[in-house]
Amino acid sequence: MDFSQILANGLVRGAELSLLAIGLTMVYDILGFANFAHTDYAVLGAFLAYSFSQALGLNLLFSVILAAAVTGLIGIGVDKAIFKPLRRKEAKLVISMVCSLGIAIALRNVVRLIWTSHTKRYAIPVLKPIEILGARLTLIQIGIVLTGFLFMILFHLLLHRTKFGKVLRAISDNKELASACAIDSEKMIQWMWFVACVYGVIGGTMIAMEHLLYPRLGFDIIIPVFCAAILGGIGNPYGAMLGALTLGLTENIVLSLDFSYLVSLGGLFDVGPIQISTGYKPAIGFVILVAVLLLKPTGILGRK
Amino acid sequence: MPLVNFLIYLLTMIGIYSLLAMSLNFQVGFTGLINFGQVAFFLIGAYTSSLLVTKAGAPLALGFLGGMALSGLFGYIISIPTKSLKADYWAIATLAGGEVVRLIALNEGWLTEGPFGVMSIPQPLRWLFSRDTYPLFYLFLVVALVAVAYLVLSLLTNSPFGRNLKAIRDEEDLCLSLGKNTRKLKLQAMVVAGMVAGLGGALFAHYITYISPENFRPIETFLMWAMIIVGGRGNHLGAILGAVVIQLFNVSTRFIGGYVPLGADSMAALRMVIIGVLIVLFLLYAPEGLVKEKKKVYH
Repeated sequence: MDFSQILANGLVRGAELSLLAIGLTMVYDILGFANFAHTDYAVLGAFLAYSFSQALGLNLLFSVILAAAVTGLIGIGVDKAIFKPLRRKEAKLVISMVCSLGIAIALRNVVRLIWTSHTKRYAIPVLKPIEILGARLTLIQIGIVLTGFLFMILFHLLLHRTKFGKVLRAISDNKELASACAIDSEKMIQWMWFVACVYGVIGGTMIAMEHLLYPRLGFDIIIPVFCAAILGGIGNPYGAMLGALTLGLTENIVLSLDFSYLVSLGGLFDVGPIQISTGYKPAIGFVILVAVLLLKPTGILGRK
Repeated sequence: MPLVNFLIYLLTMIGIYSLLAMSLNFQVGFTGLINFGQVAFFLIGAYTSSLLVTKAGAPLALGFLGGMALSGLFGYIISIPTKSLKADYWAIATLAGGEVVRLIALNEGWLTEGPFGVMSIPQPLRWLFSRDTYPLFYLFLVVALVAVAYLVLSLLTNSPFGRNLKAIRDEEDLCLSLGKNTRKLKLQAMVVAGMVAGLGGALFAHYITYISPENFRPIETFLMWAMIIVGGRGNHLGAILGAVVIQLFNVSTRFIGGYVPLGADSMAALRMVIIGVLIVLFLLYAPEGLVKEKKKVYH
């Protein structure tokens, strides 16, 4: 595979992961725990979008927006029922993390209960790929990259041009000081959940559109999403974007590498091409994750 | 007779899961290490023992010991990053590590038979018993090993070593300032936990006689977590009670399956929804679980 194709595939993957990583990193920044249910909210939203478009016959774009909003409200509801009482009790953050794991299992299986384990496909016509600078991309993939970057820019504007962003940054810097300045952090936390879920649903739907939609998808992407967030420096939304793009590229580069040169000891022996089996694709994120955690746990951009 | 056979099966599985839950409890409840990849120990114990016996022709006892040893070694390896990682980073890494171990079992077909799994795994002392009485013997074997594990773990947790582990769980910095080598203590705890869970894996493989990567999905880890959250952490009895409750729930809902108008897949999904909700409810309203840890107060 030539390099421009690898780059293009990496960009698509990075755009998908970044929207998921932004939400994860935001929850970690404001509430201080790793939310293992994050990708399962996203998959729930992707299934809702599927049903809105298939069963109700709504326009796909509108279905995704509606599903994102509904999932955002579910996110707020779960927070009010579970995480808020834990915050009030000042329970250890580890308890919140284990709770999020329980929520993840429950959500994933609610999805399985409603939509069964069968894989689903959105009603998107299959079109011939278009060639751009030597890389062949489908219209969906181009749409994913554009949407991904659009929402990254939107997030930047949200952080710096709105009152919500200002307050969110204030809480992130110093929670006590923020509440001393009469900032209602509980209200802001609700909004934060809403934004995190909306971004997650858009990212999750993009992954499901490019590949397939099935209940276990949430678990299949949780490790790359964590990896992207940590790689960029957890708690830092720009780091999450950068980490996702880096991971997307690295995954595609590693899978395309030919290791036969190493095995043949520099051409001494005749060996066929040796590549890492695509079965190990989920493991690439893990190896990068462990390397980053051990060598530079603050990530590329550092924790804010 | 089928009911008796079923009861024996149920008790055997409860015994095997008691070992896995006790091992997880030793990490989470005593040492405060949040391991989301517990299923990796289970897999390594099961695969090592069955491959040693079926492929290398090793005696069964050696297979069991090999499974425990390799699982303990895995505990040693994953305990290394605890030195520099925060608890939540380590939890993420263990979740990923468990999945990588399963991917290896799935992809390295030359060693593990890949998705087809390892078949006709021999059973210990099978020739001594008839077809009907063997499950009963195996149940006794499992119960005896659970008792041994219970005794050994109790001795460990009541020793100065166990008190050090609890000190790490409650106040790691204080523990460090007292000159304790917390890194070494965590490492030892993970090796012990790995060996106990590896034994559970080996017992599972030689009982079921067929294992494949499908047996070791991450959901197994969550079941073990549900056991220690429901049963209560910081005491071995809680882990066993949790294994009893969760396994009874798991299996009894399979029984009523015939009376509920739901397919097998939906039933399985519903079961996991309830277990997920159970984890959350216990953490919210009964964080100590059914059996509370007995805390000693020194005056």
